Amino acid sequence: MHRLIEFIKRIYVLVIFLLLEVGALWSYATSSSYAEAKILSRTTIVGGAISGTITDIGHFFSLPDQNRRLTARVAELNEELESMEMQLLEMGMDSTAMGIYEDGDHHFRYHPARVVSMTTNRKHNIVVLDRGTVDGIARDMGVITPDNELVGYVVSCSEHYAVVMPMLNTDFSTGGRIVDNGHVCVIRWPGETRYEVEAVELSIYSEPKRGMDVEVRSERLPVGIKVGTIQEYALNTAKSAYSAKLRIAADMATLDNVLIVENTHYGEIEELMKQVEN
Amino acid sequence: MFKNISYFWLALSLLVVQIFILDQLSIAMWLRPMLFPLIVILLPMEWRTIWVLMVSLIVGVVLDVSLGGAGLYTATLLPLAVVRSTVMYLTTHRSVEHGDQTALLSRMALRQLMIYVGAMLLLHHALFFWLEAMSVALLWQLLATILFSTLLSLIIAWPIVRLFISKIVR
Repeated sequence: MHRLIEFIKRIYVLVIFLLLEVGALWSYATSSSYAEAKILSRTTIVGGAISGTITDIGHFFSLPDQNRRLTARVAELNEELESMEMQLLEMGMDSTAMGIYEDGDHHFRYHPARVVSMTTNRKHNIVVLDRGTVDGIARDMGVITPDNELVGYVVSCSEHYAVVMPMLNTDFSTGGRIVDNGHVCVIRWPGETRYEVEAVELSIYSEPKRGMDVEVRSERLPVGIKVGTIQEYALNTAKSAYSAKLRIAADMATLDNVLIVENTHYGEIEELMKQVEN
Repeated sequence: MFKNISYFWLALSLLVVQIFILDQLSIAMWLRPMLFPLIVILLPMEWRTIWVLMVSLIVGVVLDVSLGGAGLYTATLLPLAVVRSTVMYLTTHRSVEHGDQTALLSRMALRQLMIYVGAMLLLHHALFFWLEAMSVALLWQLLATILFSTLLSLIIAWPIVRLFISKIVR
């Protein structure tokens, strides 16, 4: 008994430290989807399955609304397709021209996915999707909403889950382009509000205006993916470039169904870039 | 008693500076100075680890509640309390044993003191940023954040350390 008391006396600080540390880490790990997702994607498939089940239940109750939106979108796309076919016929395009058009646009594959968990209140927000490497998902693929609005890029994948770095992450950066005049810029998030991102390094000749749309310009996504709309703009102090605040097109707080975009030529582009860099 | 009150005021000042000034600054993504580890680092070396642990817990909880750390601040401050003596020994070859260790920090050479404070800050920042990122995917960015933030923290902290030790601890 005396030895036991002596032993406890010797290690009680360590025991208290371990208890407090485990408690703090547990609190942190379960506090945000980011921390949770990182742990889930690395250590426990069971945890992922549980989280997925909970989301499934939530999703089940929102199915009617989702179905209505998806059906509306399908109808819209069908109409668009029909109208384009009609236009092509009217223009009398020959088969060669059509072939080039199709080749150019058909190296993007779309994988539907659902949001398992996400965070929007941190500087390093993330989104976890229920698709992983077994579904053909890989790092660097783009993620968009069904309405062609940018969400972010896949940064890591486990077998069944993918972690996306959304625009609302201070590490996020991608190329952008003003739709009206084609001037390019860099899109990033200054970490201030979840409704706005920044378009920086806009040429002084770009003449930005309030209400202009900005889309993504990246080899990872097709053209026409909207980032947001210019709300404010100003020249930088050196008067060498414009910076603009963009109202984000996608409603990041209510993300549910998304599309993961795969550029089947991305490997080739990456290889070329590496050669140039070397 | 006067000394203990001084430690209390130091802790309070550092918490206020951290919460209302340093945490509101956004100098750069990889430059995030943190001064609050000084509260643990500068505690008297003769204090028993359990008391240092309790102080770390209180400071950690205050920061977690104020800054929404959800345990991150506590989880990164607690190890400092436990490894303080070891870091002191490893960096300055001074062993902290039971006995008269009063004002040990004030008796250290400036270089030794800087190494000790720097090592403790580096340890804290490494733990903090790694836990926050929970990834080594952007390893260089993580390392740069740890290194530059530690450096900036040390630059800001050094005058405070000097002033506190010379005026209060001595």
